[in-house]
Amino acid sequence: MSDADGAPSTEIAAIRDRWVGLEYDWTDFEMVTEEMVAWAEACNETDPRFIDPNHPDFQAHPNFTAHCMSGRVLPDDFPQIGGGFGIDGGKTVEAHAPIRGGETLSAVTTIADLYDKTGRSGTMVFIVQRMTFHNQAGEKVSTVDWKMIRRA
Amino acid sequence: MTDQVQSFADVELGDDLPVEHPDVSMDRVRQFCRVSKQEFPRFTDHEAARKEGFDGAIVPGIMSQGLVAALIHRWAPGCTIRKIDTVFRGPLLVDSNLTVTGAVTDTDDDLRTAELDVTVMAEDGRTGVIGTVVVEFPG
Repeated sequence: MSDADGAPSTEIAAIRDRWVGLEYDWTDFEMVTEEMVAWAEACNETDPRFIDPNHPDFQAHPNFTAHCMSGRVLPDDFPQIGGGFGIDGGKTVEAHAPIRGGETLSAVTTIADLYDKTGRSGTMVFIVQRMTFHNQAGEKVSTVDWKMIRRA
Repeated sequence: MTDQVQSFADVELGDDLPVEHPDVSMDRVRQFCRVSKQEFPRFTDHEAARKEGFDGAIVPGIMSQGLVAALIHRWAPGCTIRKIDTVFRGPLLVDSNLTVTGAVTDTDDDLRTAELDVTVMAEDGRTGVIGTVVVEFPG
């Protein structure tokens, strides 16, 4: 699907122009202290900032928001690209500010990027779903990019 | 290898973090799956995972990120992880002996940040997760 010079195909470029940056899901998440501790302990964490709720700087583990799933993986009416769910290409988590127990985070979901790459096994399409989390004070606390890979 | 750094001044380009072999027993993984709401049999049941074509139950990808974060917090107490970017390259088995590594690949004196390359390797030496992490040190 990519052109010889590596530019995206016309089809991918059109989908990107239409969908990238568009907000399509809004979900709230409760940050439960006991779950924050259990997550950190399961990850072998020993720093009291993450496992002791009485610590003055107690906060969620850096990638705690990575488990928060939007109501919709992709927007309604998003074009069918490739087959099935595809491959989980990994997650990128940015921690902008501490997440505290008891907070309610509001997440907005967008398509952050869409591109294709062609290799020996054919063309793969990469869809990057982005969830941006704000706390009740309106402060951005976390961004999670989830890369989905589908065969074109 | 530097066992622990107390401040940004202690960080050197090329430093290796201490190698760790975290506990990924079934109990730990089930605890993670409960709290992350990922109680899928491929993570929590060896036999069910084998029926899906794996060699056994596998560690969730985002738990691997958490194992990396814990390693970094022990290496640099008080640091703040600003970014974790990982790629899941292959399955890592529950109840196996994983190896978590890290190395400093870049530093920024103005921002007091270090960039690390990190890996989580399976018991047989395969790389299951690779990634980069940006760590900020207190002023």
